[in-house]
Amino acid sequence: MTGSVVELRSVDVHFASGPLWARRRVHAAREVSLGVAAGETLGLVGESGSGKTTTGKVCLGLIRPTTGDVVFDGHPFDYRRRARRGALAAVLQHPQWSLNPRLHVGTSVAEPLVIAGIGGREETRRQTGEMLERVGLQPVLAKRYPHELSGGQRQRVAIARALITHPKFVVFDEAVSALDVSVQAQILNLIRELQAEAGFAALFISHDLAAVRYVADRIVVMYAGEVVESATAETLYGRGRHPYTRGLQAASDLIEDEDARLADASEEIASEGCPLTPRCPIATDLCRTTHPALRPLGDTLVACHHPEGRAGQS
Amino acid sequence: MNALVAISDLVVDFRTRQGPVRALDGASLAVREGEKVGLVGESGSGKSTLAMALGRLLPPNAEWGSGELMVAGVSVRDLEGAALRRLRSHTLGYVFQDPIGTLDPTMRVARQLAAVMEAGAGAADVSSLLADVGLQDHHRIARSYPHELSGGMAQRVSIAMALAANPKLIVADEPTASLDASIRGQILDLLVSLCAAHGTALVLLSHDLRAIAHCCDRVAVMYGGRTVEVGATAEVFAEPVHPYTEALLRAAPGQERLGGRIEPIPGLPPILTGRAEGCAFEPRCRHRIDACALARPESSEIAARQVICHRAEERRPAAP
Repeated sequence: MTGSVVELRSVDVHFASGPLWARRRVHAAREVSLGVAAGETLGLVGESGSGKTTTGKVCLGLIRPTTGDVVFDGHPFDYRRRARRGALAAVLQHPQWSLNPRLHVGTSVAEPLVIAGIGGREETRRQTGEMLERVGLQPVLAKRYPHELSGGQRQRVAIARALITHPKFVVFDEAVSALDVSVQAQILNLIRELQAEAGFAALFISHDLAAVRYVADRIVVMYAGEVVESATAETLYGRGRHPYTRGLQAASDLIEDEDARLADASEEIASEGCPLTPRCPIATDLCRTTHPALRPLGDTLVACHHPEGRAGQS
Repeated sequence: MNALVAISDLVVDFRTRQGPVRALDGASLAVREGEKVGLVGESGSGKSTLAMALGRLLPPNAEWGSGELMVAGVSVRDLEGAALRRLRSHTLGYVFQDPIGTLDPTMRVARQLAAVMEAGAGAADVSSLLADVGLQDHHRIARSYPHELSGGMAQRVSIAMALAANPKLIVADEPTASLDASIRGQILDLLVSLCAAHGTALVLLSHDLRAIAHCCDRVAVMYGGRTVEVGATAEVFAEPVHPYTEALLRAAPGQERLGGRIEPIPGLPPILTGRAEGCAFEPRCRHRIDACALARPESSEIAARQVICHRAEERRPAAP
């Protein structure tokens, strides 16, 4: 994965919880490797608890991996904040929470420039106006407060704020999940257009496979902190190779296959073998005992003993 | 089957500091006993107002205008005191978007459930109700406080609460919007199967068209406070007559081909201050004609659906 703006190499993240005498460890990410190149969008899907947000935070340097390496722009990640000022940005799910309610939205958009010390006051104002226009907002809205805008407009402001420093890498964490169908479509198209223009690398995290498939070039599917499938978006316009991917596809009606549906998520994650075993429609004895490694299958990477379904058993 | 809910030309305004805002501008809908009806539309289309009006749960600044709203044969706007409480406690059950916020944070699940069940309900009844909503671990859950539950579990508990008094109608307002994609299907399936088992009618509000297509017999598409297209779900989604229905379907990701684009609906939903004189969708409609802005379209029956569009007749789907 040369040429990646951000690259994770075998990243593990553990969280410890509970009192000292009964420490519990949670494996939020396990052996996660991925890379995002300039101008590329990597989609990251999975249910809640699959480790997708943890992975996003590792990419942004907000969590240090327990083991493994993070490479940013060809160098080991520099955790001093000043070093990566303006180079990384994030757009989150609820713009009403991520924008300061007491600042004009123009001030919020300009803030990253001011903090990074780029340009004078006039220059900052000009750039803010331009940026608002690029995300499809009239510059007069700069003098409004977040509560005076609609959800879609607020999300556009959040995107403008993220992109104003021309970052190399942007994380969109559930950026369209809270929006209406029609607004969602507008924002998804906006992300695609801005990326074609600005050429940043993007990580698009969502539980909605339909939305991820639409904006991403490649898609990584995570389950229980592990990458279970890594495929091109093109592949996922057909059937996924991993039964978990197919389960997600069936759940959002992207494929018609009742047999692909997964069992309830309330079961415990298996400690041995494949973590999906208790929910998997095609699990066998092999799955219960042996952990599947991520291996190539055509242009896809998949961690499953039976990637072609039951017929593919050997 | 009798009409359980009959709403005709209902008008509701909200008094705001900027003047009145019309939330419902002549909405009409009928729900038969045991029927599952989906309500779709963007935010601001009036679907939540309609849902709240069913239980007369509108905020104090709401003003009922003309039109009628009958639930189980009684006019909801005239209900008072005990009759109103009876409507809310026995005829209707509500399931809301945020399950943890719906439950009382200071009470254990078992106590909350017992409070809404018939007097004399014991721990065994609570357990069996929790088991009905698919909570295997019901002993632990009965003893839990809401904050100790996951979103999906809490939503199952609130479904149990809504069903506890055996209501005639469940109103579910975006019941899965705050849940994870993979359990959304399960929660909806649960809601639908329990309603079917009890013969309870369901009004399901959602902007997730796939969910509605999956669960509901009939769908009512709302726009600008009116029900612009009402008909059998499969038919409406396969061949939408109203341009708004068509535009909504085209805006959802999932149906596009590789490399294709989804088309958002241009413009914004209207904020009405009074009765719309033309068609509320006219400024955003790709099929508009001169008459659309000038005359208010009335409901017409096209291919067993009610459609409010001037061009409904020419957009009639090909005969099946």
